[in-house]
Amino acid sequence: MTGSHYSRPFQYLIVFIFTLICLYPIVLMIMSSFKKNMEIFQNPFALPRSFNLEPYMKLLEQLPFFTYLLNSLIVSTVSVLLILFCGGLASFYLARFKFSWTGILFFFFLLGLMIPIKLGIVPLFMLMRNLGLTNSLWSLIFMYTATGIPISILILTEFFKTLPKGLEEAARIDGCSDWKIFWVIVLPLMRPALATVAIINFIQAWNDFFFPLIFIQEEAKKTIPVGMLSLFGEYATDWSMLFAGLTLSSLPMIIVFLLASKQFMEGLTSGAVK
Amino acid sequence: MEADIKQKTDIVGKFRGNWKRWLIHLFPIPALLVYVSFVVIPICSAFAYSLFEWRGIQRGQFVGLDNFVRLFTVEPFNWMFWNAFKNNVTYFVIEMIAQNGIAFILAYILYTKIKGAEFFKAAFFLPRILSVIIVGFLWKLILNPNFGALNVLLSKVGLGDWARPWLGDPHTALIAIILVNSWFGLGFAVLIFLAGLQSIPRDVIEAARLDGARGPRLIFFIILPLIVPSITIVTVYTFIHAFEAFELIYAMQGSQGEPYYSTDTLAVYFYRLAFGGSAGDSVAIGLGSALAVVLFLIIASISALFLYLVRKKTVTY
Amino acid sequence: MPRQVRIFWVWALVFAFLLVGCSGETDSGSGEDQNGQEQETTAGETVKLTITSWRTEDTEAYNRIIEEFNKEYPHIEVEFRPQKNTEYNTLLNTALQSGSAADIIQLRPYQAGMQLADAGYLEPLDSIIALQDFPPEILEAATASDGKIYGVPLSINSAQIYYNTRLFDEYGLEEPKTWDELLDVAETLQQKGIIPFAIGSMEGWILSLTHAVLGPAFYAGNDFVEDILSGDKDFTSEEFVASIEAMKELAKYFPDNYVGLSGDDMRTLFVTEQAGMYVMGSFELEVITQLNPDLEFDFFPTPPASGGEATITTWVDGSYGVNADSPHKQEALTFIEFMTSEQFGTLFANELKRISAVPNVQTDDPMVQKMADLAAENSTPYMILVYFNEGNPTTKQELEAALQGMYLDELTPEEVADKVQQSVNTWFEPNKE
Repeated sequence: MTGSHYSRPFQYLIVFIFTLICLYPIVLMIMSSFKKNMEIFQNPFALPRSFNLEPYMKLLEQLPFFTYLLNSLIVSTVSVLLILFCGGLASFYLARFKFSWTGILFFFFLLGLMIPIKLGIVPLFMLMRNLGLTNSLWSLIFMYTATGIPISILILTEFFKTLPKGLEEAARIDGCSDWKIFWVIVLPLMRPALATVAIINFIQAWNDFFFPLIFIQEEAKKTIPVGMLSLFGEYATDWSMLFAGLTLSSLPMIIVFLLASKQFMEGLTSGAVK
Repeated sequence: MEADIKQKTDIVGKFRGNWKRWLIHLFPIPALLVYVSFVVIPICSAFAYSLFEWRGIQRGQFVGLDNFVRLFTVEPFNWMFWNAFKNNVTYFVIEMIAQNGIAFILAYILYTKIKGAEFFKAAFFLPRILSVIIVGFLWKLILNPNFGALNVLLSKVGLGDWARPWLGDPHTALIAIILVNSWFGLGFAVLIFLAGLQSIPRDVIEAARLDGARGPRLIFFIILPLIVPSITIVTVYTFIHAFEAFELIYAMQGSQGEPYYSTDTLAVYFYRLAFGGSAGDSVAIGLGSALAVVLFLIIASISALFLYLVRKKTVTY
Repeated sequence: MPRQVRIFWVWALVFAFLLVGCSGETDSGSGEDQNGQEQETTAGETVKLTITSWRTEDTEAYNRIIEEFNKEYPHIEVEFRPQKNTEYNTLLNTALQSGSAADIIQLRPYQAGMQLADAGYLEPLDSIIALQDFPPEILEAATASDGKIYGVPLSINSAQIYYNTRLFDEYGLEEPKTWDELLDVAETLQQKGIIPFAIGSMEGWILSLTHAVLGPAFYAGNDFVEDILSGDKDFTSEEFVASIEAMKELAKYFPDNYVGLSGDDMRTLFVTEQAGMYVMGSFELEVITQLNPDLEFDFFPTPPASGGEATITTWVDGSYGVNADSPHKQEALTFIEFMTSEQFGTLFANELKRISAVPNVQTDDPMVQKMADLAAENSTPYMILVYFNEGNPTTKQELEAALQGMYLDELTPEEVADKVQQSVNTWFEPNKE
């Protein structure tokens, strides 16, 4: 629509260059994982001479990777569901009702975006211990839910404000309760924003390594990033192992993304800003 | 049930209406409970730590603002603070230019209905789904001075003189990390900008074009003001991330801000104070907590300022 | 509507319970064990102990050692649960503060580990009689400021100059006996296209270690250490500055891009025979042989710059202490007692190719034995680690940062010495006698 004919090729060139920059390191990582060490050092850019699966075999033998995967999956999914439930209800309240305290409450939630939560790690550890949640996936689920709520409330509240109120008011005149309005009328309209919140928080929970590092000591309860961490100390000079470990850690998320990239994108684009 | 309700008098009906209205106040409770228990209370206790004297990891007596005074007046703490602060500011500025500037250009190109836009969007966004710790280790391997792909590439294309120990040279280490972070965050910014662009009503753009706005003028005077909300989100987001920068640096350079404190940031410095150096020396929980309070104040006040200024400036149509 | 109300109340109750749970903010320190795990252990009942350590690479060896222990004490089940070195202190401090640390804790040597004893987290080991046979300079690493011993020293580290014997033979080189000969060796290697020293300054600890190995060539090891401790000399003295200058001059024999090389990269250069010499600790022996079993290499002590003896740099590498909060103190002490035995020392030395701190232990590895003999004969302490790992940031950290600065041309050798002295001034009291 904008952009005249002569600048088109130039625009394509820019986009291509940045596509290459974004994708190539990941391609390099996957390719290198099939190479032997000498191959990585001598010609890092060539295609692997043969698909050397040895590092993967070694990895799966040494690390309970599928246990990590399952833990990551449980933690991320449950956290997202809790965030949607808590965040959805709270945002509806903050966006639709004007009490003297809603502004303050909204700001109180937003403060969470600015808190460097790592600082609270010692008190948090004690709290988890008192609740008997150390070495339990619940410690992570509560953590990710709590830290995900602020951004979710910000996004959802902004989104609510852009929804036309007409429908809800009509429903209210018909005598529907707030609860029913929320479930029947508002939620379906919220789908794009909820998708955004779900995706953002899923990625956050899936990729975090700090909390499991502190809360989880049992091998059977570790998530992928932390489970893989020991690898980097142990195989510091075995690059094909390192690349294989990096690839294996990233693979589940990459596959999900490739399958559902449209949902990822749509969720983010339609919900993040009005 | 139904029959029961029909028999109720008006008064009860009124009362029930009030009661239903009261129900709405339960809506924010679950979010509030989780958030207060796992974020607010722990953080407040941690802030309280900054008011005590600590010997190693043992809490001593109440000393008021003593830790804050030490943080800003005693060598080398004050020097480290300002050095780290400077690096955080650098982080933010370069992110704004490298990540968000490029992201806007890319978003604008995609907005103009380029072929294959879906594929490009996905490509830009792919790095964002990796774990930061994985990204750090991956780039550490790529940037390795003697075996890494980047220096090999440079010498292959005849730019061998450009090859350098990217992460070992204090002039390039921080920049390298920031660029890695930009690689990581580019796609997110593209998507946010694109969403902002797509939400501009077509007729507004058409009207501007009829008035003769073209190219840069169209972008600067019409489009940018209209996507202020996206710009705000991206800016605040970038700012908070820049000032909380920790994991990537930790994965790539460890907790000492090596080499020679050139990659030290406030969050890395905090980690060093709160948990000791890499060999477990010199834990200073009081100072660390004081630093965290300062960090929180910086982030909170500046973010609030951004949001406040923008709220006054948002263009409506 | 009542159903939703019920759901809400359930939620509210659940979180009310959670909140009650977290209002119990506890104070750290030598607090009581809150778990109330006061288990009366009678004979015949199995007790489970956990050991924490920063040596993830030693797990298998420890499991074999624990097997031996169980032959004598079958009712004490022991689990070796190490953490990654870089996160070890974070996790240990967090666990100690919340009273959930392991029963047996590996302690960093000297001040860094003894902080924990000073804070009351550790059990004094007065009851372990065998500790009296350990030499006092070794016990120093596990003695807190109250004069009591809180750990069983595990191993003695030495640091020295490893060299590739195949390359040395090929170019007709001998082990250097003086500093000048060392420089000649480096020069020859460089002319032959071999990197003389596998070294990188990316990681600070490498630099303080390298200085601890090479420095004594200039500041005549032990006498200087005594002068420093008594306050007769300080770090701005000419011999210390000379030792820093020598490190700077060696830079021409370092690999390209050495400022960006990490410890792992250095090791790679040495095991792939791209570099001839490698200044490193005894703890790397096993890793080197694992990476390249065919590598022909040996080591030599630091050749002196102006007369005097060749020295080997030593220090105690960590010790094991007992968590004061442990519900199974008695059993933990039993294991600690086992760690003072010659049986344990021999197992440790042979399984891990390290010098055991247990007196009179012989090992079947010739290189380790050679290190142990030299260490007994003419050693000099890793001064910065042993005596100056205090202050905040510690003097050791300051030296590391300053050396990094020097290699990046930000600081001169004199300025490095000044920085070290400034840091020392913030906390150190010389023992004037």
